[in-house]
Amino acid sequence: MKFAQIALRNLARNRRRTALSLLLIAAGSVAILLTAGFVRYSFGGLQEAIVRGGLGHLEVGPAQDLAASPLERSGFPGLAEWEGVRARIEGLPHVLASEGVIRLTGLASKGDRTVAVMGLGVEPERERRMSFELKLRVGAYLSDLPPAEGEDGVVLGVGLARALGVQPGEVVTLTALTADSTLNAYDMTVVGLISTGLQDLDARFFKTHLASAQRLLGTDRVSSLLVALDDTERTQEVAARVRDRLAGQPGLAVADWESRASFYGQVKALYSGIFWFLGGIVFVLVCLAASNTLLMAILERVREIGTLLALGTSRGQVAAIVILEALWLGLIGAGLGNALGLGLAAAINAAHIKMPPPPGAASGIDLRLVLAASDFVLVTALMLGVLAVAATLPVLRAVRLRIVEALGHV
Amino acid sequence: MTAPDSPLFHALGLRKSYSLGAVRIEALRGVDLVVQRGEFVVVAGPSGSGKTTLFNLLGCLDEPEAGRVVLDGVDLGAASQGDRTLIRRRKLGFVFQSFNLIPVLSAYENVEYPLWIDGVPAAERKRRTEGALASVGLGDRLKHRPDQLSGGERQRVSLARALVHDPLVILADEPTANLDSKTGVAIVDLLARMNAERGTTFLFATHDPSIIERAPRTVRLKDGEVVADETRGAL
Repeated sequence: MKFAQIALRNLARNRRRTALSLLLIAAGSVAILLTAGFVRYSFGGLQEAIVRGGLGHLEVGPAQDLAASPLERSGFPGLAEWEGVRARIEGLPHVLASEGVIRLTGLASKGDRTVAVMGLGVEPERERRMSFELKLRVGAYLSDLPPAEGEDGVVLGVGLARALGVQPGEVVTLTALTADSTLNAYDMTVVGLISTGLQDLDARFFKTHLASAQRLLGTDRVSSLLVALDDTERTQEVAARVRDRLAGQPGLAVADWESRASFYGQVKALYSGIFWFLGGIVFVLVCLAASNTLLMAILERVREIGTLLALGTSRGQVAAIVILEALWLGLIGAGLGNALGLGLAAAINAAHIKMPPPPGAASGIDLRLVLAASDFVLVTALMLGVLAVAATLPVLRAVRLRIVEALGHV
Repeated sequence: MTAPDSPLFHALGLRKSYSLGAVRIEALRGVDLVVQRGEFVVVAGPSGSGKTTLFNLLGCLDEPEAGRVVLDGVDLGAASQGDRTLIRRRKLGFVFQSFNLIPVLSAYENVEYPLWIDGVPAAERKRRTEGALASVGLGDRLKHRPDQLSGGERQRVSLARALVHDPLVILADEPTANLDSKTGVAIVDLLARMNAERGTTFLFATHDPSIIERAPRTVRLKDGEVVADETRGAL
């Protein structure tokens, strides 16, 4: 016989009340579990979308450029002899590939329509090796080989194409400032239309081959090197190795994807806030309900507690019985919630429910839940904590009973 | 019965009152009582005479407003909360009118409980629990829960629970009040046998004349005062 055994048997005395409490605890556990699953999926999905959407896991470039925010960066490519740097990076384990990119801003014109644009000069063949996601909507993508002068191609964001009123096969004029501050313009054939996933960006964005971008800006440099890895979890590990390998070049810096994706940090903070707000509500609800259940159980057993005290049970031992009852409730309730949450998550994932597009996004997302073993541990620990708090009042009520009054309680 | 050198209980000038709304009720008005080891003392008196209040004070369940109780040489008034818990656990046994068994425990577990909370080793607990239940004739009802036992059986479990840790004294507050007369007589016979065979001291509160008539010593209470203390001989 143990106090834990007595506590468990006490819970079985009023089965309906215990069942209701367990239901509430299980519901709270499910709510937390599903939210955690959704948040994890969202974080994971967003992380991969950001990395595979063209940011890469790492960026290597001039230190002053990487230290600045994307909008404050120098307009001119500053990384010379970049192919040698790339070769050294690509020799490292877990590096899929690295591409040189040029970031450029300027104007895109078609007839009497002109739109301020921002774009990237890229290496399509490298992008493919880096598993960058391409959301080609119409037409074709840029050719792998550097185009000859006069045969430059460009892919436009769907919103930009709409603003300019162009379709694949038509020619647009891209104008940009060169390194010596003169204006240069090139006619480029629109080969396809792409989507970045963000409506606002689609209205301004274009991509062209790195060779075309270099011709437009009159340089053989690149803005930076993007590096893709075979596993996002290894980002910091590989970043450290790249820094080691580039230690002899003090002008270069290495930045990971998270430090360059302020949007990700904001989304993460928002989702975390929602998660903890929901957790707080569940905490309060479960705490109040469980406290009421435990208090009712104590009030029904006043004479019994008086008997325990009369027999020489210490007040600490009485408190232990009440706390153990609370912990049993938490443990069983969380267990039920975990099982229910696991089943519900599987059902939701199997149902392929489509969520409406998030603000600013161009397309909807699948509602998917990704649960980790740590979620179940967290939910169980949280419920045990909630129930321990909920037991405070009942414990105080129990240990403050006067034996004589308790024995005379009807 | 020969009296040892020091009395088991020595109560002196016990006073206790309660508030009942605006009314103050004097439950005990200066009770003196000496109980020797091995005695079987019946505390008799009508309802409201102060029997239960006296038992609460002697049983370390409550504290007097005035007066003192010395149990086995220990002044209960000077004992700490923890000491009083240990005194109840080790030196006292209680038999209640309503049996007060723990409903979620079996007969065996109810009897084992006082030993368990005192940290008695498992083998010793088993031996003493089975012995106590056998001594009250319940050796075959070990696994039954209180709601599966008759009133007489419950009270015998309660008695076994009070006896199992060999207390100095058993305080039985109207233990036969909720039993039919035949069962009540059987319980009193059982207590008498325990008193005779084991030398256990009993304080037995009742207002049942048939039990009072058989008592070797009867302390009569009325309106919170001892009005008579009669010694009659063996039970």
